[in-house]
Amino acid sequence: MFLLLWAFSFGASSLIQDTVKLAEVEVYAPALDRFAQGQKVISWKKAELEAYQGRSLGDILQEQSPVFVRQYGAGMIASPSFRGTSAGHTAVFWNGLPINSPSLGQSDLSILPISAIDQVSLQFGNAGALFGNEAIGGSIHLGTNSEFGKGFQAGLSQQIGSFGLFNTNLFAGLSSKNFSTKTKVYREFSKNNFPYKDLGQIGTPEVREDHAQFEQIGIVQDLAWNLNSNNQLKTAFWWNKTNREVQPVMGSNTNDEQEDQAFRAVIDIFHFEKKSVWNLRTGFVRNEQLFNASQNNSTQYFLAGDWDQEISDKWTSKLGARYTLTKGDLSTYQADDERIELYQSTRFSVTEKLSFTLNLRQLVYSGTFAPFTPSLGMDWSFWNTNSQSLQLKTSLGKGFKVPTLNDRFWNPGGNPDLLPEESLSGELGLTWNKEGKVNWTQGLTYYKMSVDNWIIWLPKGSFWTPENIKEVSNQGIEYQGSLDGTIATWKWELTTSYTFSKAITTVGTDENDQSVGKQLPYTPKHQANATVQLRKSGFSSSIGTFFVGERSVTADNPRMMPSFQLFNFGLGYDKLSLGKHQFPLSFQINNILNTDYQVLYLRAMPGRSYQLNLSILL
Amino acid sequence: MKLKQLLWASALLSVSFACSDSNDEKPLGKYNNGILIMNEGNFGTNDGEVYHLNPNTEELLPNIFEAENLRPFAGLLEDMVLEADRLYLVANTGKVEIVNPADFKSSGAVSGELDQPRSLAVNGSKLFISDYGPYDASYATPDSYVAVVNGLDGGTVSKKIEVSNKPEDLFSYGNYIIVAGSEENKIEIIDATQEAVITTLDLEASPKQFYAEDGILWVYAVTADEVLFYTVNLSSLTLGTTYSVPVANATSRIAFDGDDDMYILTSSGWPDYNDAVVSIDIEGTTATATELMTGSGFYGIGFDDDLDQIYVANSNGFQGNGTVSVLTETGSVIRSFEVGRGPSGFLVY
Repeated sequence: MFLLLWAFSFGASSLIQDTVKLAEVEVYAPALDRFAQGQKVISWKKAELEAYQGRSLGDILQEQSPVFVRQYGAGMIASPSFRGTSAGHTAVFWNGLPINSPSLGQSDLSILPISAIDQVSLQFGNAGALFGNEAIGGSIHLGTNSEFGKGFQAGLSQQIGSFGLFNTNLFAGLSSKNFSTKTKVYREFSKNNFPYKDLGQIGTPEVREDHAQFEQIGIVQDLAWNLNSNNQLKTAFWWNKTNREVQPVMGSNTNDEQEDQAFRAVIDIFHFEKKSVWNLRTGFVRNEQLFNASQNNSTQYFLAGDWDQEISDKWTSKLGARYTLTKGDLSTYQADDERIELYQSTRFSVTEKLSFTLNLRQLVYSGTFAPFTPSLGMDWSFWNTNSQSLQLKTSLGKGFKVPTLNDRFWNPGGNPDLLPEESLSGELGLTWNKEGKVNWTQGLTYYKMSVDNWIIWLPKGSFWTPENIKEVSNQGIEYQGSLDGTIATWKWELTTSYTFSKAITTVGTDENDQSVGKQLPYTPKHQANATVQLRKSGFSSSIGTFFVGERSVTADNPRMMPSFQLFNFGLGYDKLSLGKHQFPLSFQINNILNTDYQVLYLRAMPGRSYQLNLSILL
Repeated sequence: MKLKQLLWASALLSVSFACSDSNDEKPLGKYNNGILIMNEGNFGTNDGEVYHLNPNTEELLPNIFEAENLRPFAGLLEDMVLEADRLYLVANTGKVEIVNPADFKSSGAVSGELDQPRSLAVNGSKLFISDYGPYDASYATPDSYVAVVNGLDGGTVSKKIEVSNKPEDLFSYGNYIIVAGSEENKIEIIDATQEAVITTLDLEASPKQFYAEDGILWVYAVTADEVLFYTVNLSSLTLGTTYSVPVANATSRIAFDGDDDMYILTSSGWPDYNDAVVSIDIEGTTATATELMTGSGFYGIGFDDDLDQIYVANSNGFQGNGTVSVLTETGSVIRSFEVGRGPSGFLVY
């Protein structure tokens, strides 16, 4: 909302440019929650991501959000599970482009490094209408930012840590009133030779992991340019390459290696009119994955446009279209896919405190209509005093997932007759805010959803094939709270969250299916996290903990993985400087208690580790 | 997915013949009598395990390896070989665990130098382990071998004898180890002392399983549309009679009833995915096949000689635990019950 108001003032302010301060001129980014009324959205800004430098998106989601991350080992595949849904039920965007692999229909959070990202937002629940394909459990929105009027900025940061961790980050930016460029280069490396108890060997000896090395390099380039008083050009480019030794499951001695390379580029042109913003966007995403000698590549081309206008004080609307061409060049097949989608969002603000949205989307893929997805939402701040407020958020919507290229074309087994998965969900959330000596924010959300035509791969004869078989019903409660205040000269903050998630198979594969009525595999019913932070004149310290409850290995639940709780500790000082140059320092201990745990069955995870971060900001 | 398909091809168990000529007194233990149900486990999860069934009381004990050793089996269970007072659990994920069959307590292991072991045979004081060897870049296995371990309680591999691609079942006889070379349609005979292949017999079909009876070694072999039974003359190490039956899509899974009947699993694959239990009867020089049951997801077969019952395992798509159906010799279902993940074979003893 802020950003939007902002953009309008940017458009308007150009008329009186002389009086505008440089710092106020930002690069336009449409706000994520502009039409997301009634939906839960949480965001982390650059400063909050600082503490996760050198780590992956998977780590921050697991430790600081209600999302469960299925981790296949240290630095290995990590996939998100929002509200008990599967990895393929999360849409992931980078600067507005959908970046899930079109062949797999999901993203590996381990190879989305925090170093390359300036902001992260999570949206929970069905948002097929707002965000399109795969936004069933929720969506992840990653962004890079550039700023005007900051002059020259540069920095170097270096991290050294346990198990061979050695990360280097460089950035440099140059910006004037109307032009901004920022470049980031990074390399992240870890030997990952952590000790663990090998349950696959007689006597369960403690051994060192010797096949989990991780190396990642990348470049991010952002550019923004005010072409004239009402046109802005913004581009971003991201190249990321990861080489991993694939950590074997305990009891196996595989030597698999995987290389993932992604090229992503986006060009946005914004045209600002008095009460509206036109956006023309074109983008390109190429994924290259080499697993041992098996090469799987895909390229997506995007062309999109939308028109966002403030019709009156009360009515706001956005109309848009996107065309996507996907070319898949996989180890066992080649396939193209074309998609066209139209979307429309309308917001009606009855008063400042009560607003409604209606979002609609229709996607057509390879000539087939995906389910039409409408959604309705409401935000109502129904009780306000000087220091307190209560806000109700509620929404109802549909979501969908188009079968992935692999689902449709994998040879052998691909099933071109698959139907899209379809979901329906609703949620109701209440947030209480109180400002005072201690500031309170307490929120509780109840959600319920069902997913039909859930696609699963089943062995049939000598190979596997996907079918639209299962139906799943999810419901749960998410609690999120924060408290902050001051004791003497110390600022403190406590954030907590707890999630209860019940995700049940309602229709199984056949009459033999023992999963009906049981919790989905690797979907903890209980999850919680908490962080306490203390800050005083440049010094900061935090202790965080997260708890993951029992979860089953398979859909019929005979084998349960024990719950675990980990603690992390951080210490930082950012007031060290020499002349104009600053030298922020920080130190982290992860898994302080050296807890032996596995997220997935027999996938070893590291015990206590240390990490030292040194930076130079010019 | 690809690896999963590869895992489909496999051997069963080296059932009854392992003990056929031994009259050793067995120590009485919890798991001494009954049927061991081998659950292969799911690829990437390594949750293979053994269940124990008392066929008379129908009492079923789950996950007996983990229950007795307080650690998971942590592997994909490919084969179980009972030899005197040792039970060898062969995991195609690269190890062999050795337990006492009476109480299932771990007594040794072979690991470290194995790649994808498939089966095992004991000769004197040596273990011979058939192993596909590592996959190459195109998932072929050009470096298959039979590994030699000195010592019946495991230890390290002392030698790898190169054999044809994808060796499956092994049979120990006299000073010889007979190898089913499944990919190149060969029977290879290893001299156990020299630890080298001394003779190779060429077949017209892919050999999967050995079965010895009355001094004759039977070889179960399959082509796309036929099942063949070869006999091997153990004294001359030459091929004898061949029986062929027109049964399409036979898998490697077979159970012998001790007479002249055997039960095999067939699977039509794409696009119909029809699986079946087929009984094959060899009378004189002719063999006839009868379809006993059809379905989908059949993954293992066994035969209880005492009660004349056929055991058919269904993997249920590896989505969770599998089920076992007990059939009469004519194919009617007596009962069904849940077992572990990917049930693939039975050891009746």
